[in-house]
Amino acid sequence: MAKKKNKQLIRPWCWYCEREFEDEKVLMQHQKAKHFKCGMCPRRLNTAGGLAVHIQQVHKLEPDNLPRIENALPGRDGYEVEIFGMQGIPAPDVADYKRRKEIELGLAAGTISQPQPKRAKIENRPISEDDLRRQLEEHKALMGLNQPENSAAPESSSGAVYGAPQTYAAPPAPAAPPVMPPPVMLPPGVPPPGAFPGGPPPFPPFMPGFPPGGPPPPGFPLPPGAVPPFPPVGMPPFPPGPPGAPGRPPFPPPSGFVPGGLPPPGFGLPPGVPGASPPRPGAPHFVPAQMPQNQASPPPSSTPGTSHPPTPAPPSQQPAKPEPARPQVPVRQPKLILPNPSLAQTNPEFKKPTALKVKDANFSPEERRAIHPKYFYSGVDTSQPSSNHAEEPRGKKRARAEDFL
Amino acid sequence: MSFFSGTSSTTVAGTANTSSAAEKDVEVVEPPSDSISSLSFSGQADYLAVGSWDNSVRIYEVNPNGQTQGKAMYQHQGPVLDVCWNKEGTKIFSGGADNAGRMFDVTTGQAAQVAQHDAPVKVAAWVDVPGAGILATGSWDKTIKQYWDLRTPNPVATVQLPERCYTFDIQYPLMVVGTAERHIQIFNLSNPNTAYKTMTSPLKWQTRVISCFTGSPANSGFAVGSVEGRVAIQYVEDKDSQNNFSFKCHRRDSTPNSKDQALVYSVNDISFHPVHGTFSTCGSDGTIHFWDKDARTRLKSFDPAPGPIATTAFNRTGNIFAYAVSYDWSKGHSGMTPGAPNKIMLHSCKDDEVRKRQRK
Repeated sequence: MAKKKNKQLIRPWCWYCEREFEDEKVLMQHQKAKHFKCGMCPRRLNTAGGLAVHIQQVHKLEPDNLPRIENALPGRDGYEVEIFGMQGIPAPDVADYKRRKEIELGLAAGTISQPQPKRAKIENRPISEDDLRRQLEEHKALMGLNQPENSAAPESSSGAVYGAPQTYAAPPAPAAPPVMPPPVMLPPGVPPPGAFPGGPPPFPPFMPGFPPGGPPPPGFPLPPGAVPPFPPVGMPPFPPGPPGAPGRPPFPPPSGFVPGGLPPPGFGLPPGVPGASPPRPGAPHFVPAQMPQNQASPPPSSTPGTSHPPTPAPPSQQPAKPEPARPQVPVRQPKLILPNPSLAQTNPEFKKPTALKVKDANFSPEERRAIHPKYFYSGVDTSQPSSNHAEEPRGKKRARAEDFL
Repeated sequence: MSFFSGTSSTTVAGTANTSSAAEKDVEVVEPPSDSISSLSFSGQADYLAVGSWDNSVRIYEVNPNGQTQGKAMYQHQGPVLDVCWNKEGTKIFSGGADNAGRMFDVTTGQAAQVAQHDAPVKVAAWVDVPGAGILATGSWDKTIKQYWDLRTPNPVATVQLPERCYTFDIQYPLMVVGTAERHIQIFNLSNPNTAYKTMTSPLKWQTRVISCFTGSPANSGFAVGSVEGRVAIQYVEDKDSQNNFSFKCHRRDSTPNSKDQALVYSVNDISFHPVHGTFSTCGSDGTIHFWDKDARTRLKSFDPAPGPIATTAFNRTGNIFAYAVSYDWSKGHSGMTPGAPNKIMLHSCKDDEVRKRQRK
């Protein structure tokens, strides 16, 4: 009852001129005609913002000297408030209007502005276990709508057998990878023609005549007589054999870059590759495998003993400052020095309050990052002690040294 | 998993899967262990090279259905800052904070150093000279070196820049270089030793990225992105200068209800579509937008990612759009939180997302 009464008392009103209307539709018509009409052309806009954009773009007026909103009460002729019918009226103005309305109608204060609080419909009883179970089932059904398709997808994807379906099966959220399952019973390499009706296939056929499972055809750009650029699928791209041996195959597996996740046949790691751990089911991302690699190959700038302290540097520490306790790195101090301080840049002032996220006018974020102890590269000399320090990078570095020669 | 609950619409709905699942972007498996600095697709096949702050370059194969496989990886001695392919798709070049430019031969799997600078190499790009090819590397040592014969360590040309090279892009024969202190130099690569034009950036804040227009008319201009959430479209010739304009992007309101757009993020990368000539911008705010510079309209907005977008790339046909959700140091060291997302996403471009609109 109170709601209805309220509605009768407070009819839709226009914020700009405080006129009342039968309903919101009429109000909007009024606003379009009276307040949001462009003075320079017959165009009528829906909102003040729309009018502002229209005047700026169509009539090329600077934002600073837009005409005020027409037929508006003083103080309400600006573009700051986005009004659309009754929506967007600032709360103080609504309260003020209601108060004045109450006085006008001779009602007690608060009759309109504070409608009777409705009892919220909230059930406070505890949820029974049956209910919980049912809701869980519903939720699962909702979230797992495509589960059958998901489980079918690995089988149908002809090129590769998905060795680790656990990746996909993780409920409740449908996992991301099987986004575009190829349709069933298609030969490898053929794009799913019907999979994307109404649009071009999102990913094209890989290369015409370049079916996975066979060697690249001559169409693949290659210097004549050269080795295929990538080992054909079906052959282990990371064949066994110690890295650095004569006849080293392409793409020797650096430890850590083990194809985890979904190894197709032949893409799995051949046994006996040193330093490589077998892909672990259920661990599609080899973050753990990467950790030793990270630690084993510290940035060349860091010398033994100091390789770790700089890394967990507290956030408060100035990244631009060199680590004081690094006497072994005398070569170059990681410090950004302006080549010509007289040309130092300053950011211009903002016209309005603005929080610029990158405030530095003189150095790019990459430059700041590159001098951080974790990333700083001080020179070739320091790579030697670091290779003494760690076993793994030494082998890699040696291999690379051979590459240079 | 908040990212996956967003609806960044990619493919046409109505596949065998539910439409919501089909509209997800695909995540590249086995992403780098540290932030991603650069992405580059081969010009011949759907191979994606990824440079990372963990000193390595990884090469992935992208299958037609968007699945990826790690193919190869090689190392720099410092963080990798940029990566590119040669035209034939047989070699990968990368520049790193170890002051070196390296070449990885995909036919042999060998990596070798091919360029040397006195400071970190920020940009590496392949110059597709007719009949030959040149590797160009730009560095914070204020030079761009151009290596024609990759077997000798001496560059064929060294261009002195007024300041540290932050970015350059090449659409042969146009090369546009952006440096610190907001200098922009335009080169005609048939005469690479002297700048065709030197100017100050039309934007008032630090230059972040420059990308040349693709498509026709070729070599007519370029886009500049700055740290102050703004992109300028700039034409090379003065006769086209009436078409120059700039626009704001990658901004947010300081509070949800205000419309002040007071939080201003950096534009991290601009990628032009190889066919349609439209372009993408990405920013530290985690959003990506596709734009049409001629109709001056926004074609598409991605849902905000949970972290900054460090870099983006189109593949050769422009139907795959790769972007890296990765920390870009926009908040310094303190922004480097352990759980920060670090991943490469592949977005399948719908035609109407990237095709030019009719000019109004």
